[in-house]
This record gives sequence, C-alpha cells and structure tokens, in this order.
Amino acid sequence: MAKQDRAVESKDVERFTDSAEIGVQELAQRKRFLEFGDEDVARLAGINDLARRYAGAVIDDFYRHLLSFEDTRSFFKDPQVLQRVKNMQKEYFLRLTQGNYDLAYAQDRLRIGAIHERIRLPIKSYLGMYNYYLRAVAAKLTDAFRKKPGDAWATFLSLLKLTFLDMGLAIDTYIASSERTIRAQQEAIQELPTPVLPFREGMLIVPIIGIIDSQRARQLTEQLLGSIRSNRAKMVVIDITGVQSVDSRVANHIVQTVEAARLMGARVIIAGISPEVAQTMVTLGIDLGRILTVGDLQSGIERAEQLLGYVVTRSRSGEMAAG
Amino acid sequence: MRASILKQGSVLIASVQGSMTDADLAQMRDELVADVRRYRATGVIVDVTMLDVMDSFAARTLRGIAQMIKLLGATAIIVGIQPEVAFSMVQLGLTLEGINTALDLEEGLALLKELRIDDHGR
Repeated sequence: MAKQDRAVESKDVERFTDSAEIGVQELAQRKRFLEFGDEDVARLAGINDLARRYAGAVIDDFYRHLLSFEDTRSFFKDPQVLQRVKNMQKEYFLRLTQGNYDLAYAQDRLRIGAIHERIRLPIKSYLGMYNYYLRAVAAKLTDAFRKKPGDAWATFLSLLKLTFLDMGLAIDTYIASSERTIRAQQEAIQELPTPVLPFREGMLIVPIIGIIDSQRARQLTEQLLGSIRSNRAKMVVIDITGVQSVDSRVANHIVQTVEAARLMGARVIIAGISPEVAQTMVTLGIDLGRILTVGDLQSGIERAEQLLGYVVTRSRSGEMAAG
Repeated sequence: MRASILKQGSVLIASVQGSMTDADLAQMRDELVADVRRYRATGVIVDVTMLDVMDSFAARTLRGIAQMIKLLGATAIIVGIQPEVAFSMVQLGLTLEGINTALDLEEGLALLKELRIDDHGR
C-alpha cells in the first residue's frame, strides 16, 4: 500500500481511537458484552491452520459473488483498489483466527473500516461481506469437524462473537465519518459571512440567515459598527427573516447591537419577525424595549426610508412598458 | 491637559483628547458649563473621536455634561464614538441612555439643525 495512504489512514485511526470511545477499557467491555473470552480465543486459534488452507478459495469466491452485482462492481472499478482490498481481505480473514485480539487488533479493524468508508462502500455491502464469510466458514467447519459436530458448532459461535465485535467497530468508523461531516458543515455554516449592504445613502441592510451564536453575533456587531462608520449610516435595517429561533440569548445580542449602533448615531429597525418568533418572544417574556420592530423586510425598508426623509413614488408605466 | 473648546456661532465644540485623565475630563465639564453660560450657547458638541477607551467614569462625566447643559437650556450631542469603543461600552452596560449621539462632527451639527438649535434658530 502506498506510504501516503497509510499515513492518512493512521491519522483517521488516531483520531478515532483518540476520542475516548475506543480504548483498552471500551474494547474489554465490548468483549464482555459479547461474552467473548479465553475459550473463544482458544477455539479460534485452533482452526488457524484450517483457515490458512481455505483462505484463498473463500476470498476468491467472495469476490466472484461481490462482482456479480452491479452496484458493488462499481466500487471496485479500479483494479488497483480491487487487488489492494482483496489482499487486505485475506489478511483480515486470517487475522480472525490468529488468536490475539488486543487493542492493535481493534485498531486494525477500524483502519479497514475507514478504508471501506472512504471508498464509500455502503454499510449493507459491508455487512453482506460478513454474512458471506460466516456461511462460507460454517460450511468448511462442518466439513472439517465431521467427526465432532459439537466442536464445529462451538467454534462457529466463537467466530460469530468475533465478527460481531468487528462489525461493531466497522460501523463505528462509518458513524464517526458522518459525525465529522456534520461538524464540518456546521462550521461552514457558522462561517458564512453576513453581508452589510448599503441600500440608500445613509441606510444599511443586514440580512441574517441561520443560527446566531455569541461568536457570530460578535462578528456581526463589529462588522455593522465598522460599516456604520464607513457608510455614514443613520438607519440600519437588520432582517432576521432567516433566523430560525430567537431566544433570550439572541435577543440580548440584538439589543446590544442596537445600543452600540445608537452610540454611533444610527437607528436600528429589526425586520422579519415572523408570527412564530413573535409568539416565542412573548412566551419567553423577551422585551426589546423601545427597539423598532416590523414584520417583514419591505416594511422595514419603507419605515427606514420614511425616517430618513425619502419619498418613493412610482411612475405609472415605469420602464418595463418600453418592451 | 486642557480640552479644546471652540465656538462656532451659538454652538460650542469640545474635543476630548485621547490622553485625558479623569481630572481633565472633570475640568472640561466645568469649563463647558461655564462657557455655555458665558456665550449663551444653544448647542454643545462633545467630540470623543480621540477616545480609545470609555470607562464608567468617562461615561458618567459625559452624562453629567449633557444633563447640566440641558438644565442651562442648551442641547448636547456626543459624537465620534468609535466602533470598538461602542462595542465595549454596551458590553459594560454603559449605554448613555437618553443622550443624543451622532456619528461625527458633521452629523452632530446636522442633528443640531434638525433639533432646530443653530445660529439662525436662535
């Protein structure tokens, strides 16, 4: 495997095992929960030689099965990827019976899960693989332990426990990846810039969309105050139509922003208070005091224009009739 | 350090220097009040553009100036509060409630005109 790939993968594993979730204790707890103990370890180690003998055949059969399906075939279009995964799969397979299932084992499973996740193999395909293994091995065990079917069954159950341990780890990597994506998207939303738009001479419009947290509120206020100075604005219309919820914290931020703007000689109108937000504010007892508020942006603009002394008229035909 | 107080018609313009101490501020207040009386000024603009920090003493002093000047029948306007200063003031709860404010000297003079206090309105 390319050196670079290995570096990226171990970062993923570090990140994952760094999060308190999977450590030595967690691993031990999972084994206890699955009732996977020393007897199971012994049974699996006991079929290691057998596994070495049939590993190649099982893997080949498995991939023949896999590649017979359109949607899984597309994941292994790149022959390099296919060979890499096949080799890993064989290693993985043999690892099941090596008799040592410590933290390094778990980390290896996580690494493999991360690789499958990265090539975006869906969980159902991943689980399908495990399903194939277990059935293929069950058949081999029945064969090998013909004289002692009880042993075949016991060994199979040990293998079952181990594969459930593995599946849990694999699914964890998929979930961790989703959570990382969600976090990244949240950060991206936070960083969306809030434009401060000069509208008429002396007027600014600030449309806010999304969630206002303390950091964003601070950024917004600083930006607004700077714009008031550079645009010599006397009226500001802050439009909160796109703000999902207004609680007391958000209301506080708004009040502070309005007060700071006033110190710089600008008056603020809060526009875009929806009926739902109005309801919430009344229920929470939020009082914006003497801050001017209106229901929608249009009203906010009209009011601001009025206060600035603009008179907006409409000529009968406008310019659209000019066709 | 003395504050500079300029007269423009019936408007007094006081510029606060950045390095004024509490004592300097208090002195400026006293001089302004005396000047309003002496010149029968109708408007006072206190320009704090050069002030980087507004603490509670400064805020109280400005409020005091505004109130005293009002008692003398004139109008006070505070101008030139910078964005950073405005921001930290509201966080400290120093809102200068009830006191006229404007962006800068130009806006302050325009505001005085609006409130009909200027040379011609006298």
